[in-house]
Amino acid sequence: MSDLDEFKVTYFDECSELLGELEEIFAVIELGDRDSARINAAFRAVHSIKGGAGAFGFSALVEFAHGYETLMDQVRDGRVSMSDDVVTLCIRANDLLADFVGAARSDAPLAAEHGLAEKLQMAALAEGQAIDGELDDFDFDFTPIAVDLGKDEAETKIEVHTDQFADAPSTDLDGQWEISFRPHAALYARANDPLLLFRELAALGHMSVQAQMLDLPPLADFEPFGVYCLWTISLVSPDLTEAMIREVFEFVEGDCDISVVRLGEQTGTGENDVTVQVAISATDVLDPNINDFLMLSDDEIGAMIEFGEPDDLREAPLVGQETVGASIPQEAIAAGPEAGIPEPTSAKPIVELADEGDRRAVGVQSIRVDLEKVDRVVNMVGELVITQSMLTQQMDETLRTQYTELVRGLEVLAQTTRGLQDSVMAIRAQPVKSVFSRMPRLVRELGLKTGKTIKLEMVGEATEIDKTVIEQLSDPLTHMIRNSADHGIESGAVRLAAGKPEAGTIRLGAEQAGGNILITIEDDGAGINRERVLQVARSRGVVAPDADPTDEQIDQLIFAPGFSTAEAVSDISGRGVGMDVVLSNIRKIGGSVNVRSRPGRGTRMTLRLPLTLAVLDVMLVQVGQSRYVVPLSSIVETIQCSRAAFSRVPSGGQVLHVRGEYVQVIDLAERFELDGARDAESRFLVLCEAEGSHKIALIVDDIMGQQQVVIKSLEENFERVEGIAGGTILGDGNVALIVDVQGLKASDPHRTAA
Amino acid sequence: MMEALDMRDDAVDQSAIAAQNALQLIAFSIGEQTYGVEITTVREIRAWNGATPLPNTRDYVRGVINLRGTIVPIFDLRARFGDGKTTPTKNHVVVVMSVGNKWVGILVDAVSDILTVSRDDIHNVPEGNSIDTELLNGIVTHEGRMVGLIDLLAVVSSARADA
Amino acid sequence: MTGLRILTVDDSRTILAMLHHTLSNAGFEVFQAEDGRQGLEVLRTQKVDVVITDINMPIMDGIEFIKAVRASGEFQSLPVIILTTETSQDKRDQGKAAGGTGWIVKPFDPEKLISVIHRVVH
Repeated sequence: MSDLDEFKVTYFDECSELLGELEEIFAVIELGDRDSARINAAFRAVHSIKGGAGAFGFSALVEFAHGYETLMDQVRDGRVSMSDDVVTLCIRANDLLADFVGAARSDAPLAAEHGLAEKLQMAALAEGQAIDGELDDFDFDFTPIAVDLGKDEAETKIEVHTDQFADAPSTDLDGQWEISFRPHAALYARANDPLLLFRELAALGHMSVQAQMLDLPPLADFEPFGVYCLWTISLVSPDLTEAMIREVFEFVEGDCDISVVRLGEQTGTGENDVTVQVAISATDVLDPNINDFLMLSDDEIGAMIEFGEPDDLREAPLVGQETVGASIPQEAIAAGPEAGIPEPTSAKPIVELADEGDRRAVGVQSIRVDLEKVDRVVNMVGELVITQSMLTQQMDETLRTQYTELVRGLEVLAQTTRGLQDSVMAIRAQPVKSVFSRMPRLVRELGLKTGKTIKLEMVGEATEIDKTVIEQLSDPLTHMIRNSADHGIESGAVRLAAGKPEAGTIRLGAEQAGGNILITIEDDGAGINRERVLQVARSRGVVAPDADPTDEQIDQLIFAPGFSTAEAVSDISGRGVGMDVVLSNIRKIGGSVNVRSRPGRGTRMTLRLPLTLAVLDVMLVQVGQSRYVVPLSSIVETIQCSRAAFSRVPSGGQVLHVRGEYVQVIDLAERFELDGARDAESRFLVLCEAEGSHKIALIVDDIMGQQQVVIKSLEENFERVEGIAGGTILGDGNVALIVDVQGLKASDPHRTAA
Repeated sequence: MMEALDMRDDAVDQSAIAAQNALQLIAFSIGEQTYGVEITTVREIRAWNGATPLPNTRDYVRGVINLRGTIVPIFDLRARFGDGKTTPTKNHVVVVMSVGNKWVGILVDAVSDILTVSRDDIHNVPEGNSIDTELLNGIVTHEGRMVGLIDLLAVVSSARADA
Repeated sequence: MTGLRILTVDDSRTILAMLHHTLSNAGFEVFQAEDGRQGLEVLRTQKVDVVITDINMPIMDGIEFIKAVRASGEFQSLPVIILTTETSQDKRDQGKAAGGTGWIVKPFDPEKLISVIHRVVH
């Protein structure tokens, strides 16, 4: 990867964060918060996106961001007020900004008109204030020193100098420049240094410098940082232009009196004279009271410097109240402070700078690491966990009694490994805020669309969860909130009639509970219409006609695939389309969904998610000669076959009657074509929730316990295998396969156990 | 660029050409038959130590093993050639190879030799046995023995039961 | 000139990364801070020869940062280069008024950056 590509990666990473931030900021602004800190933060985010884009030449992005930034700049200055219209425009601009970032990232330019309307709107808003803006500019205290001053002005100023320099030595005046320079105290206060300016000038041509003492105050009035000196510099180089000289003084504009005069053309008509005299007080520069001269040649610049230091000026009166003449002897400089020339504070010897070693930055409180690198560590720690448990398993009783030290060591190893695992997992963790922050926006839009007033409350945004889980969380959350807004929360009129506040509330919460993260989406709407749900479920054969499911079971039915068509549920004042998709998405990341509804009071859905995806809590089962693992998140309960109520269905298959439901039975040994002694009575049923709330019962030969495993891909070296979600390596080093509960359900239903 | 290429061409002598044309094979046996794969594809040779069977796959997929933390599928070459499943013992050998970006193992009876053959001596597989033409890249004769060159991609492809 | 210790202060990681790349390639030792407050922390513990700072930053912006630097007797003569954009002349002027030594316009040209540093450091 080239440097530039690497920077781009950093940049786009940063853009994602900044865009998220913007979204978050405007969610709050939208609620009426017009805190200047927030508006400033929004400005900064846009500014940063623009800044980076400029570095990479993403011109479309720069252009759009610039318009947005300009508007935000005026908003934060109060020149444009943050009206609701402006907020709406900004929210739209955030989306567009994301589009432009996306286009830059994928190198797929957007249509020219993309965002044009908004751009114009922003420009119009900003321009409406243009006059104010200009006035503000004039408020700044800057000295109008400009290289491109008009000629007329130049000519009038020239007069000042003509006389003064008429007598200047002029053997060959071509390319000879005379610069007079008098620093103000401010120049030193900003850590500028005449020495550096001279050094730079010296690089332009042959230079000589004269220092002139200005009237020095009595010692009692002497200001350490006062300026009692001006310099006249003569610079000779045929190719020199004024702009080049001016550039040297770029940073000290306004902090000094300066004049740049080209010699040899002074006495002319002034027509060709490009000299610009912009000194604030030419008379000061040419103060006739200047009486002492310090003559310096190029070679002596080093010496002059010391003299030029404000610190040293303190000493100057002592040396030169009457005569400052003669160049400072080298020995004096070498002798340093003892010789009456204090060591300059800003000119530390370079040797000293170099030998500080390589202490690292201390201001950085976080580092950015490629996720791939973290995953590699996660993987290796996974291996370590396995190896460690493998070692522990090897310890039989004989060994235990024989090698107590070894046992103790293994225990410490186990502990450390567990700690290491936790720490590594924590690296991948991120606050759920990054997903939550997108929701206020959604709720607002839903409110507009449905005409309902909906408030969103969020708690626990700082709860941390694995990055991959977070990435998978956005869609299901969006879906569930959309459902709450569409179907859960009633219209204002209905709510008022029911004695509820007109505005509905959706509460989004996150908390950690043991090894899981619980995400709750709660509304104070009408709740699920169970009667209607059950009716639909029966008519669709999801529930057996004679079954009598509990309220909880009915609520759970909204996740069944049978409910995923709009017609079927449009009149159910509970949930709507595609909740089965939500469930399967959550299942995919090892989570589960639970729904609780109270008629007239509202609905609460709880997502239980694993802290991390890399490690899975599983039940280890024996099927034939093989061991399989079933994700605990899918398992509802386990039942001994001898206690189970099996029934035959006309197709010849077997179903399990459990809690008012008929559940498809899959004999894993049969499905996986595994041999094994099958004493039907001693076998177990593992009741799992598959797609939707649809359950399946897996017959296994034995249940061997629960454990955590590291998920390994089968596809890395092989291909997808039906009914198998992946593999894992057990304590003994052998591979166990992970049962794909969803996949089993999806496969041929005619192959149910006979 | 051109110059560099020319120089390289000039520098190649006869023996180098011969070397370029040479092919090193790992030879292994299944029953009486000898097969070979290019040595550069071989990653590891290990004794058979069982494998976790994979359901819903062809019978020649013996299962998966743990190779230092990654899961690697094992193909039974005998079964792949349609001669029935191998009844493996501890003397049987798994040759782990890389095919594309994947690592796979093939179960064979024994590894016999490292052979150096010339590419010029590789013959096309005679038409007839379709499994042979499908799974072999060519045939080479080495010291009177016929060595079938395994087409690894063909061996590992379409291993799913439903394929 | 190499071996200079430079503190870079910017809330944009992209800019920090680019500065780091340019400066460390030039043989400088680079310190990073993401806002003015962090910048002051670095200054408290590290000897730094030049500071390059952004203006728009959270917590403590560049103007406040420069003011704080100048207000402490210790850093009165520490050169501070302001990172500005073409369009924020007013910010640059404010930065300068606060005590900024010089400035460089983002996006910066690496050579220009080095030359600006040379212009303000011995």
